[in-house]
Amino acid sequence: MKVVRILIPVLFGLMLGVSCSEKQDFEQLDDLEITPSYEASVFYIKAQESLINRISGLRFFSQDFNFDAFEEAFFANRVRSGVLTYELENTTSKPIEISLEFLDENEEVLDTEEFIMDAAPTATLIRDVAYGAAGKSLDFIRNTSKIRLIARNLGDNSSTSNLPDPAIILRSSAKFTLELK
Amino acid sequence: MRLTYSLILFGFLFSFGICAQNKQVLYDFNEIPQSLSLNPGMETDFKWYVGVPLLSGISGYAGSNGISVHDIFVDDGVDINVKVRERALGGLTPNDEFSATIQLEYFNAGFRASNPAIFYSFGGYFEIDNSTYWPQDYAALIFDGNADQLNRKFDLGDLKSRGSMVNVMHFGINKKMDRNLTVGIRGKLYSGIVDYNTTSNKGYLVNSLGENNRIATTLDADLMLRTSGIQALDEASDSGSSTNAFVKRAFFGGDLGLGFDVGFTYHLSERTSITGSILDVGFIYHGNDAKSYSLNGRATVEGIEINVLEDFGNLERDFWQDLVDEVEVLVPFETDTKSYVTFRPTKLYGSIRNDFGQSVGGGNGQLECDCTAGSTGGGELRTKYRNSIGAQVYAINRPRGPQVALSGFYTRRIGNILALKAIYTVDKFSYTNIGLGMNLQAGPINLYVMADNLLSYQNIAASNYASFQFGLNIISWGSTK
Repeated sequence: MKVVRILIPVLFGLMLGVSCSEKQDFEQLDDLEITPSYEASVFYIKAQESLINRISGLRFFSQDFNFDAFEEAFFANRVRSGVLTYELENTTSKPIEISLEFLDENEEVLDTEEFIMDAAPTATLIRDVAYGAAGKSLDFIRNTSKIRLIARNLGDNSSTSNLPDPAIILRSSAKFTLELK
Repeated sequence: MRLTYSLILFGFLFSFGICAQNKQVLYDFNEIPQSLSLNPGMETDFKWYVGVPLLSGISGYAGSNGISVHDIFVDDGVDINVKVRERALGGLTPNDEFSATIQLEYFNAGFRASNPAIFYSFGGYFEIDNSTYWPQDYAALIFDGNADQLNRKFDLGDLKSRGSMVNVMHFGINKKMDRNLTVGIRGKLYSGIVDYNTTSNKGYLVNSLGENNRIATTLDADLMLRTSGIQALDEASDSGSSTNAFVKRAFFGGDLGLGFDVGFTYHLSERTSITGSILDVGFIYHGNDAKSYSLNGRATVEGIEINVLEDFGNLERDFWQDLVDEVEVLVPFETDTKSYVTFRPTKLYGSIRNDFGQSVGGGNGQLECDCTAGSTGGGELRTKYRNSIGAQVYAINRPRGPQVALSGFYTRRIGNILALKAIYTVDKFSYTNIGLGMNLQAGPINLYVMADNLLSYQNIAASNYASFQFGLNIISWGSTK
């Protein structure tokens, strides 16, 4: 009985003492990379042909738009690469030139993207613009505070397209990879 | 070094979160007073007992049914990014749980009434418990994002987590109704120190083809996080009075609640008995320092949308800020300080036991000494046997439905000094859970030690589950007459 009295606590102690583990390396956490990619639409602009016809001169539209999304600290500090995708559709009867200027807080032009579209009927123009290591500088994106859209009518001010609801439409989306860790 | 690793891993497991612990080794271990806390209708034979303050009952448990520390951190040369992707992101589901409980009894005592059929017990303990389910779609959003996944709905309901720290004071009455039936009830007063829960979330986030623009992003959210006590302790910590704030909230200065446990033991025959108990049927009213955060609404955005013809007279406006404002109106993030009620995680135990072998204590098996392992309390003596075999069931109410464990056990009593219990348990955490419990009675000094999932001690990092219990009491049986 005495043996049992001694043996059991010893066994328990031993069990706890010899509980072991294969070698673990918690420093691996330093190597963990969390780099998700997020995608969303950026802006959509539609200018009808009836409006274009009413404005004389080459430049029928020029407007600055505030755009703080890329400047947000969470995004700007973590973005590592990305792609802006533009989709330009022209169903008007005139060739159109679109110029997108990315401006910083001082309204300095950081980057410009230009598109020229033939008069309808013409195929939709899709353009991917990469930023980061494989493309333009990410600083253009990080420092963008405004976007200036300039549209020029390279045709006349009287013709009308036969297509329904003729207009020039610029669609865009962004896909960016962030480094969260 | 190996022990150090083990301790680190225990700590790591505990950091995951908590739920109420299945104390299957302690249950129906009649020689130990703390077994009364699992079944207030347990058969008792103590005249009185007093737990050694802060040492009478210490228990801890941590479990994760889907993944272990070893799965991610083993030093096997495999890139941790591959392991996380294959074993966590690819291997876990929203039903996989990380949970843990720590319980520290600071006082526990009991005494037999002038009517020997009645035994009173009372005491108090702190309990920290937490349960978190794997937030699968949140993890997918964090690790992969939503790019190139048109029409995939990220389920915001995957976030389910709850936790609390409470001080529980209790008083129980155990009565032997007749030779075969013993019943008991225990009233509980909860003093909530900290609570948080976010368990009823709904909604989704999805990208789909836009009507105007390339992509439409829809957020349909009904999210709620309720907390209590966190702000008070945080402010107290800033002002250097966290101990005062903790003690105040622990002793009726925080959230209050009521609950009860009930249980019974019934002898089907001289050697066969069944037991059952329901624990923590109760609630806590969180009316002191409650703070809730909610995100509720639905919005679909396709970026800044400008129709030059329609907006011609208003092109100078801030389209970006208007978009942000519109989303904030449609899906407002709000905070409030409304009180709320939480229900305690109710637990159920049941068992059937058959005693066999020689009687304990010699003679006819009736106990004639002052220190004994047996269940003769209060009245007519019942023969105690050296061996018991039986089965137990345990269930607990969890946010994603009841969690059940089944156990088979064998108990061996060696004289009046030592009782050993070996138990095998199957539950969602493990199919190889073997536990051992030991109760040592050295005169009036009672010591018990228990641990389960012992096979995992070979490589504790690979374990999905680990728990322990130990305690120290002083017990008197008085004269058995």
